[in-house]
Amino acid sequence: MIICPNCGNQEMPGALFCKECGTQFTIIGRDPTLTIPSDLADHLHEELSEDNENIVPPTPDDASLSLFIIETGQVIPLEGLTEYTLGRSAEDQPILPDIDLAPYHAYEYGVSRLHASIKISQPNALLIDFGSANGTQLNGQKLAPNKPYPITHGDIFSLGKMQIQLLVNR
Amino acid sequence: MDDLTFYDRLGLPRDATHEEIRRAYRQLVLRFHPDTNMNKGETELFIDIQLAFEHLSDLKKKTDYDQQLPPEQDIISPLNIKTYYSQPSLVRLSEPQLIYTLLELTIQPDTELWVTSTPLNISLVVDCSTSMQGIRLDTVKLTAIDILRRLQPDDIFSLIKFNDRAELLIAPGNLADLKSAEMKVQLLQAGGGTEIFKGLEMGFSQVDQFHSSQRINHIILITDGRTYGDELSCEKLADQASARGIGISALGIGSKWNDKFLDHITSKTGGICKFIPDGGDIRSSILDELTRLGSSLSEQISFNYQTSPDVELSTVYRLQPDPSPLDPISPLILGYMPRHGTMSALFEFVIKEIPKNLTEYVMAKGFFNIEVPHHTVRTKYINRIIITRQITPEPMRQTPPGVILNAMTLFSIFTMQERAREEMNNGDFSKAVRHMENLATNLSQKGEENLAQSVLNEVAYIRHNQSFSEEGEKLIKYGTRSLLLPARSGEN
Repeated sequence: MIICPNCGNQEMPGALFCKECGTQFTIIGRDPTLTIPSDLADHLHEELSEDNENIVPPTPDDASLSLFIIETGQVIPLEGLTEYTLGRSAEDQPILPDIDLAPYHAYEYGVSRLHASIKISQPNALLIDFGSANGTQLNGQKLAPNKPYPITHGDIFSLGKMQIQLLVNR
Repeated sequence: MDDLTFYDRLGLPRDATHEEIRRAYRQLVLRFHPDTNMNKGETELFIDIQLAFEHLSDLKKKTDYDQQLPPEQDIISPLNIKTYYSQPSLVRLSEPQLIYTLLELTIQPDTELWVTSTPLNISLVVDCSTSMQGIRLDTVKLTAIDILRRLQPDDIFSLIKFNDRAELLIAPGNLADLKSAEMKVQLLQAGGGTEIFKGLEMGFSQVDQFHSSQRINHIILITDGRTYGDELSCEKLADQASARGIGISALGIGSKWNDKFLDHITSKTGGICKFIPDGGDIRSSILDELTRLGSSLSEQISFNYQTSPDVELSTVYRLQPDPSPLDPISPLILGYMPRHGTMSALFEFVIKEIPKNLTEYVMAKGFFNIEVPHHTVRTKYINRIIITRQITPEPMRQTPPGVILNAMTLFSIFTMQERAREEMNNGDFSKAVRHMENLATNLSQKGEENLAQSVLNEVAYIRHNQSFSEEGEKLIKYGTRSLLLPARSGEN
């Protein structure tokens, strides 16, 4: 079964376009973004609310902003830019994301190659989804693509199924 | 004709299967049965066909016959068929899968033998009901006179007017008196209803009377209205025309005619159905149709096929020369082949299950028949074709060939509008609206802003009236078809 990354409609293997919304399925290059069934992604925030109390954010380094990968416990500092694109690198990809999540099993989590961005602004940082295949959720709410959402310290967002917490060191 | 083999008589390749023999015979019976056939000399043909079938359908007789048959002469078909597939292989899966095949037909012309232009045997069947009054009928009249003046000596032309009944205005045959023929056309008056069967029936009998293998035999119907109650008779007539090798085309003017019905009738014969919107150019549409017929090499390309048991041919879409969906039943009537040009059609196969222990799967096989008008006789050619793929455990990632991708871009648009119209018919307005909006998005992504806007206008209309506007529905249906015209998709 192929699931349309645009509208979630199911098509038979071998289909070249979605009969629901017209999206073409042609794969140019390898490793298309793994499509996660939408119901799974929708349940994410429920799982989150249970786990929430157990998460103890570690003390960030000197960087003012950093990302905490919840599943693996790693911290990625955000330094030197005012806007950071998030995604995963793949072969033959012309534009690489500033923050490459490929080492953190981004492919398995359904992160798109250019999934979202975090823009540093006052008073809040802004999170923007780039119309990714599996979408972006902020504290359990799905984001509309290409619209900025304010995000602050402690907020948890997920790219596909990958959960990340934003840490701000003021 | 004496050296024709039994296979030749049935239009079959020598390796035809029993099923193929049976099918070919059934088609020919429809075409040449003495009960339906008015032509002299064809009763003998029918007897020949009977004899051929008796031999070939009986396994023992067939074996004996095959043994004494002289070796096959190499008749090279001028038809060249290229096959493209959307994937290099079928994947062994536990669920159904899709595969697309595009067949591209080109002709290698044997200029020595073939006539340079094919004379026409045409009947123009003109709706003269009340609604045609005014500019519509006036334009048709002027165009008909134009046609009369342009006819070549070899052409056969008749003109029929119909409303509640049909009248033969210009009889086929030699136009001895052009002036009086023109006068008759000038005096045409509109009035009465629209009974398409009456017109078609008379058109058919005129064309059939002068039916000739050296000509393009065709009926052109011009109408702006709906016919009531005689749809089934029209369908039967279309089947009969198709079997006799007579094509039917329809030109629908304005928004009130029944596009579904006329699409159906014309596609049965390989003809085309065109929409002329209000204010559209009636004259050039009619003349274009005549030019198209005059420049065609063959009106009779058909594809006899059989799919494997777990394979379904779900959709066939002719991309060139005239984009149109085709009935996916064997024999597939592909319609006319332009003298200089290409015919291509996209096939969507659903593979429900792949039998175990196979490394290659034959999805369908069959043969193409093409008849080409010759100086003296019409020559038949046969091309055998097998649609097959190897089976692999894993998908072989490969970008589909460019011709398939090009076709797909436009085929997806066609599919979406078909779907929206179907949902509308089922009263599923919210779904139809959603699909129409998706369609508009796709059209504007492809740079078809005008058509996208028409679709959005139609969405607004549907929201308000819970139905398509007659004009809008046709505009979208035929507009998306013309997107597929070779001039616009022709890079590959």
